[in-house]
Amino acid sequence: MASFSNPFDPNSKLGKGCQCGQHNSQAAHDEAEAMNTQQLGDRAVEGAIMRALFPHDETRRNFLRTVGAGTAFAAISQFLPINFMQEAFAETGGALEKTKLKVGFIPITCATPIIMAAPMGFYAKHGLDVEVVKTAGWAVIRDKAINKEYDAAHMLSPMPLAISMGVGSAPVPWTMPAVENINGQAITLALKHKDKRDPKSWKGFKFAVPFDFSMHNYLLRYYLAEFGLDPDVDVQIRSVPPPEMVANLRAGNIDGFLAPDPVNQRAVYDGVGFIHILSKEIWDGHPCCAFSASKEFVTTMPNTYQALVKSIIEATAYANKDENRKSIASVIAPANYLNQPVTVLEQVLTGTYADGLGGIQKVPTRVDFEPFPYESFAIWILTQMKRWGQIKGDVNYQKIASEVFLATDAMKLMKDAGLVPPKSNTKKFFVMKKEFNPAKPEEYIASFPIRKA
Amino acid sequence: MKNFKPWLPAMLSIIILLIFLGVWHLATLPTQGTIDPNLDPEYAKLLGASAAVGQKSTMPTPADVLDKLWVNVKDPFYDHGTNDKGIGIQIAYSLARVSLGFGLAALVAIPFGFLIGMSPLLYKALDPFIQVLKPISPLAWMPLALYTIKDSAISAIFVIFICSIWPMLINTAFGVSTVRREWINVARTLEVKPLRMAFKVILPAAAPTIMTGMRISLGIAWLVIVAAEMLVGGTGIGYFVWNEWNNLSITSVIVAILVIGIIGMILDLLLGKVTKWVSFKE
Amino acid sequence: MNELDPIIKIQGIAQRYPKREGGTTTVFENLHLNIQKGEFVCLIGHSGCGKTTILNVLAGLDSTSEGYVFVDGREINGTSLDRAVIFQSHALMPWLSVKDNIGFAVKSRWPDWTKVQIEAHCLKYIQLVNLSGAENKRPAELSGGMKQRVGIARALSIAPKILLMDEPFSALDALTRGVLQEEVLRICAETKQTVFMITHDVDEACLLADKVVLMTSGPQARIAEIVENTMPKPRTRATLHHDPQFYKIRNHLVDFLVNRSKMHLTDPNALDFDPKYPPVVQPGLDNIAA
Repeated sequence: MASFSNPFDPNSKLGKGCQCGQHNSQAAHDEAEAMNTQQLGDRAVEGAIMRALFPHDETRRNFLRTVGAGTAFAAISQFLPINFMQEAFAETGGALEKTKLKVGFIPITCATPIIMAAPMGFYAKHGLDVEVVKTAGWAVIRDKAINKEYDAAHMLSPMPLAISMGVGSAPVPWTMPAVENINGQAITLALKHKDKRDPKSWKGFKFAVPFDFSMHNYLLRYYLAEFGLDPDVDVQIRSVPPPEMVANLRAGNIDGFLAPDPVNQRAVYDGVGFIHILSKEIWDGHPCCAFSASKEFVTTMPNTYQALVKSIIEATAYANKDENRKSIASVIAPANYLNQPVTVLEQVLTGTYADGLGGIQKVPTRVDFEPFPYESFAIWILTQMKRWGQIKGDVNYQKIASEVFLATDAMKLMKDAGLVPPKSNTKKFFVMKKEFNPAKPEEYIASFPIRKA
Repeated sequence: MKNFKPWLPAMLSIIILLIFLGVWHLATLPTQGTIDPNLDPEYAKLLGASAAVGQKSTMPTPADVLDKLWVNVKDPFYDHGTNDKGIGIQIAYSLARVSLGFGLAALVAIPFGFLIGMSPLLYKALDPFIQVLKPISPLAWMPLALYTIKDSAISAIFVIFICSIWPMLINTAFGVSTVRREWINVARTLEVKPLRMAFKVILPAAAPTIMTGMRISLGIAWLVIVAAEMLVGGTGIGYFVWNEWNNLSITSVIVAILVIGIIGMILDLLLGKVTKWVSFKE
Repeated sequence: MNELDPIIKIQGIAQRYPKREGGTTTVFENLHLNIQKGEFVCLIGHSGCGKTTILNVLAGLDSTSEGYVFVDGREINGTSLDRAVIFQSHALMPWLSVKDNIGFAVKSRWPDWTKVQIEAHCLKYIQLVNLSGAENKRPAELSGGMKQRVGIARALSIAPKILLMDEPFSALDALTRGVLQEEVLRICAETKQTVFMITHDVDEACLLADKVVLMTSGPQARIAEIVENTMPKPRTRATLHHDPQFYKIRNHLVDFLVNRSKMHLTDPNALDFDPKYPPVVQPGLDNIAA
């Protein structure tokens, strides 16, 4: 039985203690069982609308506290056709072509929506029986996904682009229906470097990133290059599986890494490193991990695909709420999922964390979960792949971006799920204060003094 | 040198073990860290136990490992979902994979080795291929297997198969080709039919050599399974190691190492018994 | 079958193989020999004259370059259960017990026999070679002499028409050898077994053989002469040297091995006789000492 907590409950929090483990209390469990599916769908739509109207959780909570849930709903219903949207939601989705699915994930906090959607019933709500399978590394998850052992998989957002273009693997048309998370990465340095906070002093450092085709690689390179270091000449950057990063940092084999969490916080927890900066300080709102599936899956099983993406989009929205973060941390911490101390995950998800230098930082937006796959994200990634020589020659940026990043579909599915999608498939953004214009990718590449191409 | 009491080696083993455990214990004993008076207690709460007293987390002591071993051994068959199963279940998965891959390899290697051993022409013609394929690391086969077979479960079994086939093939061929001429001549003068010759003369004559090959192969298969499972993940003792490593739980990794070693030893002992049974003195 | 129709007829066999530098090496050639049923024939010659090859040809384990071998009027074509071989190195299968080694042969001879029949047959032959009590031992647990007894029992158990022995006692110590020789003598007398045996041992030939075939040294070895052992039977080792013929025959054989076996190499005309009918001599009845 799926759970969808009441979006009009200002104190909504998930805890442990019902029969099925999916509700914050036995009462919530009973309530959920009593509710029929229609009501659940209503709740989802209402929740999405509340979120869309009041994107800032603090504002929304205050609003609800002040006026009360019932009043709020009545008020909003007056100027939004909520009833109509609820009907639309109920109608979407024909018969599912397949209900038993396997979805691969890498045990990092970026995978939070994919993982928690299983124990918290987001998949079940859409009639899917999803087994989330922990996987050893990015190359393996790619190969298993290509080999159809997984119906869909957690990937790094550059990977669907690379797979589609056949960079680093055989070319297979791949898609990215949703982003998992934005921000949530960090540069961690070994404790011995705690006085070298200026990147200009990092010449000769050895860095680790999780994969060649990762935002981590591109962000670290970008960051270093902005400080005048050529990442291919002045430092070494290696692809290292996340669990080995902390071990290597402890052993002194590497000086630092730009890694997904919980690796950064784990380095602090184990007393071997400190968090230099969060990745949001490089590019606030950068995409990181992605929910991906083959084009074949999308086209041959459209209903399953839509149900799956809707589950993910809803889970993502749920995970984005600050008030849910603590409970999510305890849900994904056990050995079946991330296999990490709850403290570490809590620090990552709530943004109240030890920085490794004796200070407690409070950055509630350390990691956020936003599903929309802007095509301009894809174009930026492609510019960096070209900038660092991973792809060569002419690149049809817009075509690849729209084929792989399924922004138009996401728009529709977000609407179906009762969320308010962005109006445009692209958006402008700034990376280290430099504006990126997706219409002029080549000029963008040419504007960097340090580059390979 | 041979005149020692029968209990002496066992006692020596125990003394070596105790010395090893003692050194390990002393080396990993947590040094009394002083808590930094300036350290914010709120901050300390966010850190791991040893980091909170201003240290890097350390190697586990033998007692930690024994504790963990007991935790794993007392409930070996729990199942907390796809990615979290008891060590007994993981071992069962690994053993199943090993027996499948190794069994298939034996099914292919022994008859094929027989043919090669019977034909000096084939022996010479195939030898270069065998010599090239034999030393290839399991981890080198894995990407190729994943790419062509397109199924990680079958790939893992294939990698065990391909790595454990060679010692059996080589030993069978060698054993068969070096069967004493006189035994074959005896059988020939008795007008023994080819099949009876193969099963009643050549097979028992070559059996000790074949069994030696099987023992080497099984050892390799057990080595390979851990590496293969660490790579493809999902289930098995190799996945267990990887999953605990992912959690930086060196204690659990050491437990797994112990378990892997003991099971490898048991497998070898079992085949050793069979070898003894088919061996003969001349 | 009448007395004059030999059970084994060897007609003009030769063994040649190509030399590395061209041409051919001839180990032996133009070999003719008849063996009568019930005869005990010993073949004596220096190493390298192809004795073992001749035995293997008779066994069907080897083929010749030229010539024919007939057994019972039929040309040899491969091995046969009618011709049992006792190998110099006993050739027992070490993974089988004494009984099973013999049983393996018995089962080959009579595939349809039941286990009980086979077992009874085996025990009979184990008893014949005085090995009762050792049926269930493995060859490794037996002494050299006991092993060779098993080899003899195995060969006899299949009731062969011809027994082929390749220096069966050469690996044994003198004492054991003597005991086994007498046993063979006894068994062959009982069974009237046709035997073809290779030996180096002149005394052994004097004791066992009805005829001793002497070969010249290789290459191009040939049969030099056939010595008939005219000493009366039964013979025993203990009394043999009291027989007046013994030293005549023995000296004749030793003399051949020491002096005359190489004669054709120095004098091609020394063997000026029809190889189909090598000279048959009876030195034991010769009044002039050789």
